[in-house]
Amino acid sequence: MKNKLFIIFCLAARTACAADQASESDYYQELPVVLSASRLSQPLSEAPNAMTVIDRNMIIASGFRTITDLFKLVPGMYVSYYKSGQAIVSYHGSTDQYARRMQVMIDGRSVYMPPLSMVNWAALPITVDDIERIEVIRGPAAASYGANSTQGVISITTRDAGVMGGQSISVTKGDKGVNDVSARFGRRGELLDYRMTLAYTADNGYDSLAVPPNNIPATQFKAVGLLGNSNDSNQARMLNYRADYHPNAVDRYDIQFGFNKDVQGVGFNDKNPNSGNGFKGTNTNTFHDLTGLSDYLQLGWIRSLDDNAELSVRYAHSREDQQEALPIYLVGTYYPGPISQSLKTRRDEIEVQHTVPFSAVNRLVYGASYRTDQVNGQGYVQGLPTPVYLFYGLSPANPSYSSSTSISQYTVFAHDEWRITQRWLFNAGTLFERDATGTPHNSPRVALNFHVTPQQTLRLGVSVAYRTPSLVETNYPALQPGALFIPNQKVISPGLLSEKIVSHEIGYLGEFPQLATSLDLRLFSDQLSRGIYVSTTSNTFVNGLSGNYQGFEATLKHEFSERGNLTVNFAHELAASNGAALAAAGQKIMISNNPLNADILSASTPRNSGSVLYSQRLADDYSFSAAYYRQDAMQPFDRGLIDYQPIQRRMDVRLAKSFNLAGGVKGNLALVLQNLLGQGYTEYVASNLFNRRGYITLALNW
Amino acid sequence: MYAVDRISRWLLLISLLSSLPACAAEEMQVLMVLSDNSPFYQSFAETFRQNLPANLHLQTLGQAEDFSGQNADLIVSVGVRAAARVAKYSAQPLLAAMIPDTAYADLQHVRHGPISAIFVDQPIDRQVALLRAVLPDRQTIGVLYAATRDMSVLRTELNRHHVSLISRHLYSQDTLFSDLNELLANSDVLLAVPDSAIYNSNSIRNILLSSYRRGIPLIGFSAAYVKAGALCAIFSTPEQLAAQTASVTVSFAKTGSLPAAQYPALFRIAVNQEVARTLNIPVKTAEALRLLVEKSSGEAR
Repeated sequence: MKNKLFIIFCLAARTACAADQASESDYYQELPVVLSASRLSQPLSEAPNAMTVIDRNMIIASGFRTITDLFKLVPGMYVSYYKSGQAIVSYHGSTDQYARRMQVMIDGRSVYMPPLSMVNWAALPITVDDIERIEVIRGPAAASYGANSTQGVISITTRDAGVMGGQSISVTKGDKGVNDVSARFGRRGELLDYRMTLAYTADNGYDSLAVPPNNIPATQFKAVGLLGNSNDSNQARMLNYRADYHPNAVDRYDIQFGFNKDVQGVGFNDKNPNSGNGFKGTNTNTFHDLTGLSDYLQLGWIRSLDDNAELSVRYAHSREDQQEALPIYLVGTYYPGPISQSLKTRRDEIEVQHTVPFSAVNRLVYGASYRTDQVNGQGYVQGLPTPVYLFYGLSPANPSYSSSTSISQYTVFAHDEWRITQRWLFNAGTLFERDATGTPHNSPRVALNFHVTPQQTLRLGVSVAYRTPSLVETNYPALQPGALFIPNQKVISPGLLSEKIVSHEIGYLGEFPQLATSLDLRLFSDQLSRGIYVSTTSNTFVNGLSGNYQGFEATLKHEFSERGNLTVNFAHELAASNGAALAAAGQKIMISNNPLNADILSASTPRNSGSVLYSQRLADDYSFSAAYYRQDAMQPFDRGLIDYQPIQRRMDVRLAKSFNLAGGVKGNLALVLQNLLGQGYTEYVASNLFNRRGYITLALNW
Repeated sequence: MYAVDRISRWLLLISLLSSLPACAAEEMQVLMVLSDNSPFYQSFAETFRQNLPANLHLQTLGQAEDFSGQNADLIVSVGVRAAARVAKYSAQPLLAAMIPDTAYADLQHVRHGPISAIFVDQPIDRQVALLRAVLPDRQTIGVLYAATRDMSVLRTELNRHHVSLISRHLYSQDTLFSDLNELLANSDVLLAVPDSAIYNSNSIRNILLSSYRRGIPLIGFSAAYVKAGALCAIFSTPEQLAAQTASVTVSFAKTGSLPAAQYPALFRIAVNQEVARTLNIPVKTAEALRLLVEKSSGEAR
């Protein structure tokens, strides 16, 4: 009788019986090491650099649907777009349209690609919802992250394979053609967890300018050309997969692949013959589509060793193919062409890393990596006048050009973290690389963290970093129609050296648990030397720009209660360079287009910028968040005065409600309004107008 | 020299005690029955053997199934399976070592002869003392459990410290992570309980990752949990339990009677300082915590 009852009870409670009676083996069973060194993020108070963390909650609260917008939440970061699909993410003010002084990584895989050494953000096969957290290191960190970490490092961690056991769909509709659909599913298993995303994102980019910005009269030279000059729609179809295979307690395999097909509108129409703004009707970058196919495969193996040591090996293969076909205008004449160009880039990268804790207070991380990049470019120009062909060394019989380049680099690195006492933490590391040009570099970094109290930390740091010239800088193309650069087979800028940055910083971090507040302050001084620019005299890229950046950054976080969170970021920055001297010496590219500031570096760095993000959980499963962004006026680097970027003020709000449906389906409906106050602004290129816009997202998961 | 010294001291003690009934004239026979040959039973057996005076004659059965009613003055079972087997086939005095306290009531039920136990789990007040010592500011403790479990003692003890308990009963394996996430959304500490339907070597990775993503520390109940990524744990090693079992055995040899079932007298605390740092939780050393816990939960007996 008793047994029978027990069986009935078991059936009622389904799996909750049988073996579930506690047993001593629960206490003595072996478990896998889950939160190993590579899983754990470094606390800010122990990091050798200033670091901003954007976590899942901030991502949701921001309401952003593009990854690059998230960097507006990092103090001192300049986020803008050349076209809505061509983001400029840089630190220390604006760059030219090819921001290439930051290292960007996704799950440890470096995603800035040749030939420009920049990130094609629109081609990344992940969406905002695939991201777990973003760590942004403000300041050079080449010692840990290698080449190109000259201004800073963006390290994106995607969501774990085991993050979801179920499926979800999400649909976003809104102004400006915003139309996103995504489907996700994931399973957790005894040996294998995986998740997969299928997504489509689309929008029509910026608003079209109807009235010239900055009160420029429409009659002024060039101004009229800005109007209706916005061909920057973007559609991306993507897939990504991540699996975590853990066959035993010590080995873990990370398997990832992804694919993205992106079609974006590019080109301008202001130099067309009928634009009426004074150009002679030569436009070799007319409105057209740029199509990109990119994919990647990443395999990682992490073995937990005894005494918290860890060995990891990572291999990644990335591929990016882009192509375009466009008609052009030459001195008023239309040539339907089309001129077609294609660029194929391949990257293979392998890295081995060993983490060894020598003792409870001293830990060494060392390793090596090897990388090969292959760039194959092709162009084909049809139906142009013979003199044009001859000018570029082509002929009507041989109207094509191409180049094929393979570059490799290797690095070895070591980093030691030593807790000298409870209060003193010493970080020292260096990275040695032989870069693509065969030049050896050594990028050291030392940082000393002093815990004034357990809750308050002072940090002093010095580091050195180099940026290897990009392929386009060394092998500048002769012919440059369209949006792509087909590198020259020949080295055009011989002897070009890496740019060098030396950075000094003082940081302060205070945690005030009683006030539910934390404060992160930083004073920095970065010296750029051997900065690369195009020389007017030699028509090649040369080293010669030197400058320095000094500034102050602050982040304040406050928790009002369990339900309200506030993050405030502020940056004040001053830049100075020899730009004016170079300009005076005839280097036209160094001429500042801001009449009030002759220093191009200084003029292109916003003096003050900041953001405020507040989120609040409300009753009845409602949540609300609001963000405000402000950036001082500035002159975008290498743009004309007409593109002067006035003060940018923007307020975004998000209101969401979670609900439960029948059958265990959970839903979330969110409304996002961007630039709520309608303070329309233009950025980087004056035809990039951003007005108020809104969208609604419905997500269901079960 | 030392060994001889110790033996002679024991001989003296035994001769003094020889008038007592249980020992009678000849050596007392102790039969140790292990549940199986798992390493932690072996460690227990080894330490128990070393801690037993020479006049107590010890026999060991390596598997619960080897026991079929063999006679002895005292049977020491190690683990639940051995205890259940002995309780079923014998009415000799039984000291059930290394069993969870929840298993004890069942044993008493089927049992006719004298019985006592050395539990493997830590008393609730000691667990709560650790929780308070490590995370004095956390106000809401979450517990997810599957087997029927009485939460009232834990709740009362937590409430006594002005900490609230959110417990959630898991009905089905399929809802483990949605239940866990809901619990995590409302708690600021996750307290693991020995419940293999929830906490096992397969599920632990996603449980730890889920709580870590939310910045919520997990308090474990064994050294393995701390190694895996739990913030800390309080537990007794097989050796500690064996030493305690040996001293109860010696006292049985003296008095002929078994004391009441008892929780571990000796315990250890392990802290994962790496995890503590990452979660920005300043945690004292394991030794300092042990002193604090001993002070607030009563001196270890």
